[in-house]
Amino acid sequence: MSWQILVNGLVNAALIAPPAIALSLIFGVMRFPNFAIGGYITVGAFFAYAVNVDLGAPIWLAAIAAMIGTAVVVWLSDALVFRPMQGRGPVTLLVLSIALTLILEHIVRLFYGADVRGFDLPLQRPYRFGDIRITQEQIEIIVLAIAIAAITHLILQYTRTGKAVRATADNPMLAQVRGIDTGWIILLTWLYCGMLFGLTGVLAGLDLVIEPLVGWYLTIPIFAAAILGGIGSPYGAMLGALLVGLAEELTVLILPSTYKIGVGFVIIAILLLVRPQGLLGRPEIKK
Amino acid sequence: MTAYLVSMLTFTGFFMILALALNLQWGMTGMVNFGIAGFYALGAYTSGLLTAKLGWPVGLAMPTAVAAGFVAGGLIALLSLRLREDFFAIVTLGFGEIMRLIALNEDEITEGPRGLKIDARPFAGMFDRELYPIVYLILVASVVALAFIVVECIRRAPLGRTLRAIREDDVVAEVLGKNVLLHRVTVFAIGGAFMGAAGALYAHYVQNISPEVFMPMVAIFIWMSVIVGGAGNNWGLLIGAGIVMTILEGTRFIGDFVDILDAEKLSALRIILIGTLLIIILRVKQGGLLPEQRFTYKGSQESGRTETQTSNA
Amino acid sequence: MQNAISRRTALKGGAAAVAMTLAAPTILRADEAISIGSLTPNTGGGGPFGPNITASHKRVADLVNSQGGVLGREIRLFQENSETNPETAVRAADKLINVNKVLGILGTWSSSVTLGIMPRCQEAGVIQMCTSSSADIPARDQKGLVFNFQALSPVWGRAIGDLSLRRGFETFNVMALNNDFTGSMIDGFVGVVGRDKILVEPFYYNGGQASYRSEVTQLIGEDPEAVFIPAYVTDFTSVYKEIFRQGYEGQVISVSIATTPAFKDVIGDAANGIIHGVPVPPITSPAYKEYLTEAGLEDTGSVQHPFGTAGRDQMSVLLLAMEKAGTTDTAEIAKAIWDVTTGEGKKTVYNVTDGLAAIRAGEEINYSGASSSIEFDEEGMVLGRDFQLAEIRDGKDVVIERLEF
Repeated sequence: MSWQILVNGLVNAALIAPPAIALSLIFGVMRFPNFAIGGYITVGAFFAYAVNVDLGAPIWLAAIAAMIGTAVVVWLSDALVFRPMQGRGPVTLLVLSIALTLILEHIVRLFYGADVRGFDLPLQRPYRFGDIRITQEQIEIIVLAIAIAAITHLILQYTRTGKAVRATADNPMLAQVRGIDTGWIILLTWLYCGMLFGLTGVLAGLDLVIEPLVGWYLTIPIFAAAILGGIGSPYGAMLGALLVGLAEELTVLILPSTYKIGVGFVIIAILLLVRPQGLLGRPEIKK
Repeated sequence: MTAYLVSMLTFTGFFMILALALNLQWGMTGMVNFGIAGFYALGAYTSGLLTAKLGWPVGLAMPTAVAAGFVAGGLIALLSLRLREDFFAIVTLGFGEIMRLIALNEDEITEGPRGLKIDARPFAGMFDRELYPIVYLILVASVVALAFIVVECIRRAPLGRTLRAIREDDVVAEVLGKNVLLHRVTVFAIGGAFMGAAGALYAHYVQNISPEVFMPMVAIFIWMSVIVGGAGNNWGLLIGAGIVMTILEGTRFIGDFVDILDAEKLSALRIILIGTLLIIILRVKQGGLLPEQRFTYKGSQESGRTETQTSNA
Repeated sequence: MQNAISRRTALKGGAAAVAMTLAAPTILRADEAISIGSLTPNTGGGGPFGPNITASHKRVADLVNSQGGVLGREIRLFQENSETNPETAVRAADKLINVNKVLGILGTWSSSVTLGIMPRCQEAGVIQMCTSSSADIPARDQKGLVFNFQALSPVWGRAIGDLSLRRGFETFNVMALNNDFTGSMIDGFVGVVGRDKILVEPFYYNGGQASYRSEVTQLIGEDPEAVFIPAYVTDFTSVYKEIFRQGYEGQVISVSIATTPAFKDVIGDAANGIIHGVPVPPITSPAYKEYLTEAGLEDTGSVQHPFGTAGRDQMSVLLLAMEKAGTTDTAEIAKAIWDVTTGEGKKTVYNVTDGLAAIRAGEEINYSGASSSIEFDEEGMVLGRDFQLAEIRDGKDVVIERLEF
């Protein structure tokens, strides 16, 4: 049983790692915790549902459409809500993002109602390795998460744009002085993250169910992962996702599973007390 | 209709107490509290359980709820010693969720998801049924007034200046010889006490509480009240709480006149409208409807800030 | 009562002004029409069910209005969303009671909402009709104004346990969604099958989680012959996907409200073999067939809209009782509710139209509904309904066991 719990944790981690990376990137350039990610993920799931079920396209095409569609919604939310109110302080933006997630969730509800939905895909039985059970879909999700982490790493480390993103995150003023078009960089970051949220919507739809609250269910674990890893640090987010994914599963060994959601918070609190900047975050340098 | 207005004003009163407490913690001191629902629940369940299970009189149970909020607030604030503002926010969110989980899971004490029935009421039997809601409103209004006076006095006192200094830059405040941690703990404890009071008042007003009441949504409404009204400005957030309640409840009346949409679509539209109105208000009125007043100190042109921006942005 | 207060008090404030302007026309109408409130979970946890209930309320009210109303007066229906949240629901109930002056609030679904608004309704003498299964409901109804259209949940647990034993299963594990309704099914179930047949200590899980993997691993631990999962459709869909993915080959048993057509649609072929139980709306009953036509549904031979059918019955029973009582006094109407639903030797009616006609012709009636035959015990709880166990075969429900109470 305990080995299965490790596999469970790994699958959890693979689901929350891409959006945690995206959340971390957005925090880096925008400097506020964006709770609208729940809305973005829900929108992504329903875009994919519309293309896969309503239009009858295969799931990979639906996933691409969801990524593009969500990126557009994310870009619109920046243009209409966040950019005009930049400089209002992180907490105002945070409250705005909560309002936005409510709006997105209920727009979806307006069109699709609250019934559960699923993609046009059969459920899979697992492969068995001794006690361990894992499905092909879950292996694919894990591989995908690793690939996204690697791609994000390569972009940030080796491309001109990626370096500009890091520079903007480190110090936007300095980046601007050095000739980086920070507006363009922020836009690119939003679009890239939008695609990751759209993809997460698809994967969440496969793993859980497609319904208006699906993004909200994932929000807290994603935040936990991003903070644990050191918010603003995409590599930390990957590590954070792994720890949160495992911690939630291991909870059941010591506590009733009804406390699962709380355990994530306790771990965050303890870890932050020991290491306030998160696992891989750099200590904040006060002015 | 009057009974409805009395009831809505009472509910607005709970929001106002919570908003005043949050303004003390965040608007004036810069400590983000997303665990409002947790303090609210703590107050409600403390007073509710003491009266319903141990038979305490309301007059004793309610102050105990206030004390519980005070202690919890102080303890949580100790964590701010090592936590950055936004991380502290997540820890408070965690506190709120854990309080709700305890209320939900420890059902042998709290009745869990069944909800706790509370028969005891303050001044029970002293007024007739028509008058009682008004008496309760007066009670809630008195607590609002008390909270307002306390928070406003702190704001005007030298203490208020220290708190603003901590909000703007805690390192500088520390360098100037202020005990930042002590100030933070005090402020959070006082805020927690008022939130506990609001919870106790709520519990004995609705007489039935369950874990589902204390979802993070409550915290969101209070944040909306403070930000819409104007962080740092106590008058502004009273208006903010009124506006949030008007938007929440006023949108209900649309349904009485619009027959075209089914109830499900109408419910969705109502919440979309609530979110949109919030965004529009924030966009049009920077710093909320009544922004924080500038402070001019004797002999200098130095002034407080007017924006709601916090220090580590 | 309200007039007395309004003379004594003057209230100001933006909220007041807005609410006043909006509500003014309502007050004018209140004298002519009879106001009834519908408070359903259109969003939140009850989101999949609330809209059906509301739609049923409206259909019955519209139908009666088109035939001249009740007591010669029009029925005016006020619909509110409880958001499946007692905090919101109390304020919605305040509005329905004090502004719309409703004499009944119908359609509350989760126990916490039904119980949450109960102090308000009791105080104002408002009738409540709900589909909540908490055993606390009758205990807290001091005025005899609450009518529950859903069998209490321990009954569900016992019936499903009994039917499972008849299927010959020897070992079980149990996990329930942590709420009042599904949670209290555990005791009934364990009581019937016997604690020694349960391999792992029964446990609860919370809905709205990002994963149910560890719960499922725990549930299928020690490989029981069958697992029983009282749940709602949203979380059960996620849980069942996980059960399948973790390769469990034993028997999955749940409640029919979790295995809705939407569930079967999502799960597809993998849903075949699931057994689920429910107090049956008599699928063969004329009232149920009429409901399907009214709601525009195909007769699939399985239970559809378990709460929507109850919504139809709630509104029908209330209107019939009102006509029977000949008054809008709620205490009288409450007494008449037993008259028109319960008791032998009366004329059985399956819809509100026939019922009203019979009452006006001076006949004694017994309304038999779409959700059950609707017989109330002295506490206003619907009496034990037939209980059936169905198996999903080729995406359809096939009845395999039936239990009569």
